[in-house]
Amino acid sequence: MISVESIVIREFRGIRDLTLDFKGKNFAICGPNGTGKSGVVDALEFALTGNVSRLSGEGRGDVSLKQHGPHVARRNDPDKARVTVKVLIHSLSKTVTIERNLKTPAEVNVTPNDPAVLVVLQQVSAHPEIVLSRRELIRYVLATPGKRAEEVQALLHLDQVEKVRGGLQKIANSCDKQLIMLETATTQARENLMRALRIPELTKEKVLTTVNAQRTIIGLQTLTDLTESISIKDGMAASSPAQPQRIPRAQAITDIKAAREAIAEITGGSTTMRVAEVTADLTALGEDPAVVTSVQRETLYATGIELMEVEACPFCDTPWNLEELKKHVQAKIDHLKEVSRKRKAVESKIAPLIATIRKAQAATNILAGYAPLATPPVAIGTFRDFGISCRVSVERLTVILPLAETIAVLANVPIMPQAVLDAIDDLEKAVVVLPEPTKQDAAREWLTVAQERLEVLREAMRKQKVAKEQAEKARQVSNIYATTSDTVLTGIYTAVEKDFEFLYRFVNHSDEDKFKAKLIPSMGKLGFDVDFYGYGFFPPGAYHSEGHQDSMGLCLYLALMRYLQGGAFTFAVLDDVLMSVDASHRREVCALLKKEFPNTQFVMTTHDPIWLRHMKTEKLIDGRAAVQFRNWNVNQGPIRWDDRDVWTEIDDYLKGNDVRAAAGLLRHYLEYTSGELCHRLRAFVEFRGDAQYQLGELLPAAIKRMRDLYKRAKVAADSWNQQDIVKQIADREAKFTVLVDTSNAEQWQVNVAVHYNSWDNLGKPDFEPVVKAFKDLLGGFMCQEDCNEYLRVLPDRETPESVRCECGKTAINLSKKIT
Amino acid sequence: MTTSSIKEGEPDVPAQVFKKFLEALVGAGASVELVARFNKTLLEDRTFTEIALKEAVLGEESVP
Repeated sequence: MISVESIVIREFRGIRDLTLDFKGKNFAICGPNGTGKSGVVDALEFALTGNVSRLSGEGRGDVSLKQHGPHVARRNDPDKARVTVKVLIHSLSKTVTIERNLKTPAEVNVTPNDPAVLVVLQQVSAHPEIVLSRRELIRYVLATPGKRAEEVQALLHLDQVEKVRGGLQKIANSCDKQLIMLETATTQARENLMRALRIPELTKEKVLTTVNAQRTIIGLQTLTDLTESISIKDGMAASSPAQPQRIPRAQAITDIKAAREAIAEITGGSTTMRVAEVTADLTALGEDPAVVTSVQRETLYATGIELMEVEACPFCDTPWNLEELKKHVQAKIDHLKEVSRKRKAVESKIAPLIATIRKAQAATNILAGYAPLATPPVAIGTFRDFGISCRVSVERLTVILPLAETIAVLANVPIMPQAVLDAIDDLEKAVVVLPEPTKQDAAREWLTVAQERLEVLREAMRKQKVAKEQAEKARQVSNIYATTSDTVLTGIYTAVEKDFEFLYRFVNHSDEDKFKAKLIPSMGKLGFDVDFYGYGFFPPGAYHSEGHQDSMGLCLYLALMRYLQGGAFTFAVLDDVLMSVDASHRREVCALLKKEFPNTQFVMTTHDPIWLRHMKTEKLIDGRAAVQFRNWNVNQGPIRWDDRDVWTEIDDYLKGNDVRAAAGLLRHYLEYTSGELCHRLRAFVEFRGDAQYQLGELLPAAIKRMRDLYKRAKVAADSWNQQDIVKQIADREAKFTVLVDTSNAEQWQVNVAVHYNSWDNLGKPDFEPVVKAFKDLLGGFMCQEDCNEYLRVLPDRETPESVRCECGKTAINLSKKIT
Repeated sequence: MTTSSIKEGEPDVPAQVFKKFLEALVGAGASVELVARFNKTLLEDRTFTEIALKEAVLGEESVP
C-alpha cells in the first residue's frame, strides 16, 4: 500500500525537532530506554492514523492524545505539535506528504490532495495495527482466550462481524421477550373468555355448543362454524341507548372469583419467596458501588450507542467522529460483560413476578368495568389506581435501576392495597344482590360479554402470531449468521494457524522444526495452544521461554497481517518487540523478515545496539538506515549519535569554557564510535562476557586493525602487481599514522579532564587541540570521498576480502593473487 | 524449508463474512426482500446499529 520516505516531527511527545530519512526502506531506531524511540513510533502512528494507541483506549486513565500528545512545553499550544511524513503510494506511484497537528488530530493535510490518494490514505488510517509494540505482542500470546479473541478480532477488523452477531442476537432475544409478553396477554385473554363462556377448554366445538345454547334462548340461528370474522352475537339487536347498561351478574361473580385468585397468587407464599430471593440478589448488587455504577453505565452506554446517529453532540452541537465515538463506547460496554451477566440472572428471576403482577392487573381491570354500574357505585378509581400501580411496578422491575427503587417496589409486590380488597368486597356485595335476569336477558348479556372477550382474544392471538413469526425469523437469521461467521472465521484461523506455524518454524527451525499450533475459535473465544517438543499442546506461556513467546507473538502478528492485508502489507512498525529473543534467533528473524516480507518496510526500535548490529549484519537494514539516540532531555528531545551534532555540541561546550562537559561527551562518543569501528573492521578485542568494553580496550584495537588492514592491502596489491595502488594505500596509511600519533599525544588530557577532576586547569585553548585530534582520527576511519561513512571489512565472517564504504567509492582489496 | 501456504489478498474479512451470510440466507429460503435489505445494510451502507439491523430483519413490519 505505502512505504514511508521520511518523517519530520515537531513538538510532539518528547521530541522537539527531529527529521528521519527512511528512504522507503527498513529502518532501525536504537537508543537506551527513555531516549525518545517510542516518540518516533507514536509520531508515525499519529501521522498515518490520527491516533496514538498508547494514549488512548483501555488503561490509559486521564491521559489523552490532544492534551498529552504535544511536547510538555507546548501542552497549551497543540497546533505547534506537528508530524509530517512523506509516503510513497505504490499503486499510484505517487509520493504524498501527510501532515497532522494535535489541535485537530482528525484533520489531515495531504499534498497532492487527489481522490485516489485520499482513498489509499483512508485505508491506511483504518489499520492502526501497523504498529506492534511488545505489550501488544504479549497480548496475542499470553491473553486469556476471551481477551485474545478480542485482540485478534480487532486486528482482523472482526469487530464489525461481532457487532452484527451481537446485534442480531439481541434482536432475536428482544423478539422472544416480546413474544412472551404477548403470549401472556393471549393466555389471560383466553382465560377471561373461558370464564365468560364457562367452559374448561377452548375448542371450537365446545364454544359453538355453549354459544348456540345461548343463541337458541333468544331465538337466534345457531352457528355452524366459528371463523375469525364471525360474531357470536350475530343477529342480536344492538341495545338501544335508552337501555341502562347492567352488570352481567353471573359473569361478574365469575370475574370477581378470578380476581380473588389472582390476588391470592400475588400475595401468596411463592411470590413472597421469589420477592425475597430477588431482593437479596439486588441488595448484593447494591452493596458493591462499583457494580451499581457499572450497571448504570452499561444502561447509559447501551442507550447512548443506540441513539448515536448524528454527527454532533445533541447537547452542545460539538462535532464528533461518530465511528470513533461508537468504538469508544462499545469498548466500555464490552468491559461490563460481567455486570451484564449478573443483570440477566436477576432479570430471569423477575420475569415470573412480572407475569403475576400482569395477571392481577388484568383481573382487576375487568372489575373496573363493572364498578360504575354497581349500586351503590364502587369507586372505579381504586381499580384504575391499582392498574397504574401495577404498570409502574412492571416498568420498574423491567429496567431494574435504580436498585433502591426496584427493591422498594419489590417489597410492595405481595401487598394488596386494602382499598382494592374493599372495593372488590363492595362490588361483590352489589353484584350478589342483583336480581336474576330473565333467561333471555341473561343470554344477551352472556353473548355480549363473550363476544367482547372473543375479540380481545382474537386481537391478542393476531399480535402473538405476528410476534411469533418475527421471533422465528429473527432467531433463524441470528443462527444463520452465527453459523456462517463461525465457518468463515474458522477458515481464517486455520489459514492464519498454518502461516503462523510456518513462520515460527522458520525462526526456530534449529530446535522446533516440527512445531505445530492450534488456534481454536469457540463461542467468542480464541484458544491458542502450541506444541512443546512433541509432548503435547499447551498454552504458549506454559513451557516456552519468554524469548520463544516473543517470537510467537511476532509470528502470529505477521501471519495475521499477511492474511489481513495480503499484498498491501507494505509497512509496519515493530516497537522493541524482540527484547527477549536471543542472538541466534534474532538472526533468523532478520532472515524471515527479509525473505518472507520483501515488500514490507519495517521500522524497528530497539534499546539493544547488538540487535541493531544483527540487523545490519544480516542486511535487514543497510548501513545508513538507522539512527542511534544517545540521550534525551526535556528541552532538546532525543539527541542522536551524529558526527555533526556531537562536534557542534562539543564546540558549544568549549565556547562556554565547559571543558568538563566537552571532555565527557568526547569520551562517551569515542566509546560508542570505537565499538562501531571494531565491529565494522572486525577488530580483535579481548572478549568480555558482560560486553562492557572501555575506550582503552576498543580504540587501540580499532587503530591496530586499521593498520593491519592497510598492511594486508599493500601485500594484496603487490601480489597483483598494482604498484600505484600500493602507493595510494601507503599514503593513506601514512596519513592515518599521523592522525593516530597526534591523538595519542593528547589523549592523556581527556582522561585527566574526565577522571581527575582537573578541568579547572584546562581552558578552551588547552582542550581544542584534543578535540581536533580525535575528530581527525575518526575521520581517518572514514571514506575519503563524499559519503563520510566509516569503512567496513567485507565479508562479515570468514577471510576478509576487502575494505569498503557504504557509497562504494572506497574499495580496498585484501585478497592476494593465488599463484 | 517449505514456502508459506497463506492465501494473499482478500483483506476485507467482514465483507467476506457478510457475503457468505447472504448466500446462506438465500440457501435457507429467505425472502428476496430480506436478502436485499441485509445486502444494503451490511455491504452497501455498512451500518451495524441495532436499529438498522432490526429494520433489515423485520423490514416494515412493526412489532405488534
